[in-house]
Amino acid sequence: MTSFEDADTEETVTCLQITVYHPSHLQSGIFHSINFNNREKLPSSEMVKFGRNPNICHYTFQDKQVSRVQFSLQLFKDFNSSVLSFEIKNLSKRTSLIVDNRELGYLNKMSLPYKCMVRFGDYQFLIEKEDGESLEFFETQFILSLKSLSQENTWVPRNPIPENGNYPSFGTHSTSPTEIDENEL
Amino acid sequence: MERNLTVLQVALYHPIQGPAAFANVPSRLQHDTSPLLVGRGQEAHLQLKLPHLSRHHLSLEPYRERGSSLLSFCLKALSYRGCVWVNGLMLRYLEQVPLTTINRVTFSGIQMVIHIEVGASLEAFVCCFHLSPSPLIYRPEAEETDEYEIIPQQWSPQGSREQTLCHLGFLQGPSETQDSFPQPSSGRGAEIQLQRETPV
Repeated sequence: MTSFEDADTEETVTCLQITVYHPSHLQSGIFHSINFNNREKLPSSEMVKFGRNPNICHYTFQDKQVSRVQFSLQLFKDFNSSVLSFEIKNLSKRTSLIVDNRELGYLNKMSLPYKCMVRFGDYQFLIEKEDGESLEFFETQFILSLKSLSQENTWVPRNPIPENGNYPSFGTHSTSPTEIDENEL
Repeated sequence: MERNLTVLQVALYHPIQGPAAFANVPSRLQHDTSPLLVGRGQEAHLQLKLPHLSRHHLSLEPYRERGSSLLSFCLKALSYRGCVWVNGLMLRYLEQVPLTTINRVTFSGIQMVIHIEVGASLEAFVCCFHLSPSPLIYRPEAEETDEYEIIPQQWSPQGSREQTLCHLGFLQGPSETQDSFPQPSSGRGAEIQLQRETPV
């Protein structure tokens, strides 16, 4: 028998992958303190703060245009879900936080979809969540993008597509499946 | 100035431990807009001395609803083992619920009633704590049973404290702590009401 076979089953952890971009990051070293590509394990009850002040924030940006505490991410569990979700909260009085197309003011918060674009100033964050079993921990992983995330159309908020792959011929803003007769296609 | 701060009037009661559970509770606590931690741990902003309580049992998080210029509060359960009941809703670890104007919260045998008086400030808020010698929350259906607990003699009502709790709307009518108001079992209560009805 080996220790691998006898060991307790490991739980998978929720992972938050954050792809960051700023147009002048190469010149200014604003991401100097971010440990890219490294997976960091954090307790699930932690409120993870992002900003300029290293005494308060877990992830810092060396940029005077960033607020001392810019925003936070925190896990919560929805009543109807068995997996963990993230909530983002704007902690900056000066700067709005744009999450996809929604603007968050100071102390506004919202839950994050599985994939979304978060922006403030010239900063772009593509945030993607991978579900895991563990309720105790989660992981973060930062990826540096050398190109603008908007220009590459890496993520464009769009309506869900029908399960059968058939797009209706008329425009629709409905986010729920629409039942149509197949002869109408 | 304090009148611009949101004030949380918080009444606390524990049926067994009594005042000892609340030895570290100040009468007034001003806090910034970070979550206020409640638990047994020393780093908790509101430290309650109960062995079955988690070090971090729950948090009160100020935030702002979109479109509102005032603070709202969200209560989140932080205990991995225990749970928290808020207005009849059970919260397990990491579950959260926004608070309303008056909130009945139970956890680990503690009864906590939170009355929010909203102020204009977005910088900070204040908690005013009141220790109740008598139950704050009860199950209405228990009035029809014979099961009840006698309130210990050392908890006979003190006039000024009762008057304060009445004034804040936590209690109604004259003090009747010697009456048979049953204790809700910790964390398992069903629907609960704030006001106690005067027995006929």
